[in-house]
Amino acid sequence: MYNAPKPNLEDLPTKAQLRRSSVIAGIGAAFISVAVYMPAELGEDPTGVGSLLGLTEMGEIKQQLKAEAEADAELHGKDQSSLLMNDILGLFVSTAHAQEAWQDTITFTLEPGEYTEIKATMEEGAMLFYEWTSEGGRINFDLHAHAEGQDVTYEKGRGQTEGEGNFETPFAGDHGWFWRNRDDKAVTVTLQLRGGYSTIVPEQ
Amino acid sequence: MKTLCDGVRRIPMRFALYLLSVLFLTTNAAFAHDVTPGDAGYIQEIWGVHIIPFIYLGAKHMITGYDHILFLLGVVFFLYHMKDVAIYVSLFAIGHSITMLLGVWFGWGINAYIIDAIIGLSVIYKAVDNLGLFQKWLGFQPSTKWATLIFGLFHGTGLATKILEYEIAEDGLLANLLAFNVGVEVGQLLALFFILIVMGYWRRSPNFMQQATYANWIMVGLGVMLTYVQVAGYLAGT
Repeated sequence: MYNAPKPNLEDLPTKAQLRRSSVIAGIGAAFISVAVYMPAELGEDPTGVGSLLGLTEMGEIKQQLKAEAEADAELHGKDQSSLLMNDILGLFVSTAHAQEAWQDTITFTLEPGEYTEIKATMEEGAMLFYEWTSEGGRINFDLHAHAEGQDVTYEKGRGQTEGEGNFETPFAGDHGWFWRNRDDKAVTVTLQLRGGYSTIVPEQ
Repeated sequence: MKTLCDGVRRIPMRFALYLLSVLFLTTNAAFAHDVTPGDAGYIQEIWGVHIIPFIYLGAKHMITGYDHILFLLGVVFFLYHMKDVAIYVSLFAIGHSITMLLGVWFGWGINAYIIDAIIGLSVIYKAVDNLGLFQKWLGFQPSTKWATLIFGLFHGTGLATKILEYEIAEDGLLANLLAFNVGVEVGQLLALFFILIVMGYWRRSPNFMQQATYANWIMVGLGVMLTYVQVAGYLAGT
């Protein structure tokens, strides 16, 4: 017993109709795989349809992020050595309280798709104050730190043109920004810093 | 060399700072910020209106959302008049669109495990309904249309919860959300096209009515499994 009666055979689609639908479905699936799925996931666009639809950019970003995530996983093995450096530096460095004047002004320009990292080497419990503005376009950033299996994200943003704030470090290490330009024109960021850091690490 | 003094804390000294005016960028540098790969990673990198990418993401979400597809299969299992299929699929679409849009727009923070457990229950409900057990137990047939609409509302809430995890930018949110919704319906129609072909062949088989019993009991089992996984996840998280 069901909540519906048995279908009459004459009400059902005929075999010829089903066959035709199957062929259409097969062609559709093949088309979607090559013209839509490949650009949107792999960033490869053999037909040119993906770029026309704006899907290739998505696939390229996904592939880029995937490569970065893999590089990340590898990098975690190397954390020890850089930490040792931080510890040595840490012997000479201590917290400096924020002063009224900025200690450093850093300016950099990113073309569309480019990225960089700017970090301050800091002890545990140190404070950093910052203010930044972007010119020419909008910028994405991830203000974070990680060391010895610990990590912290202070702030994330995208499509921003300015920011300000401060944070206190929960652990010693390099704390700072990953910047990426996802705008369609070059962006120049001016970042001002003050607080308890020893050095600024341009790139690791 | 710079030395800074501090009135509050005890401050020794600092080392010289590198003053950087221009950074030379290398492309092969390995960065270690928390990378979110995949669809969410892409969405978290962009802002502004991106209609077609969001249609794609909506369709992908539906086609890869086996719980939604399973419910859809249950709904159309015994429907073969195109008019009926259209009515029920529209009811499901209306239901999930309402809660999906409202849920994202107002940021309903509903626990994903709870809502996914209810979606699992919807699969059980529909399979039990198909087996005619409600008629047997209750003595009447509960409205299948209302059930489709109401469970559609729950499926939409589940979709909203997933979309909120994507963290779509405020800039362009409404247009992107509507595009995502269109994509969900496109994905549903693509899945439906496939389901109806398979069901079309199957219904012509003389053993269909007998096999339908097994199929719906399997669907009950899958629904139980979906619900169990979500409840277990909820309990593990609390």
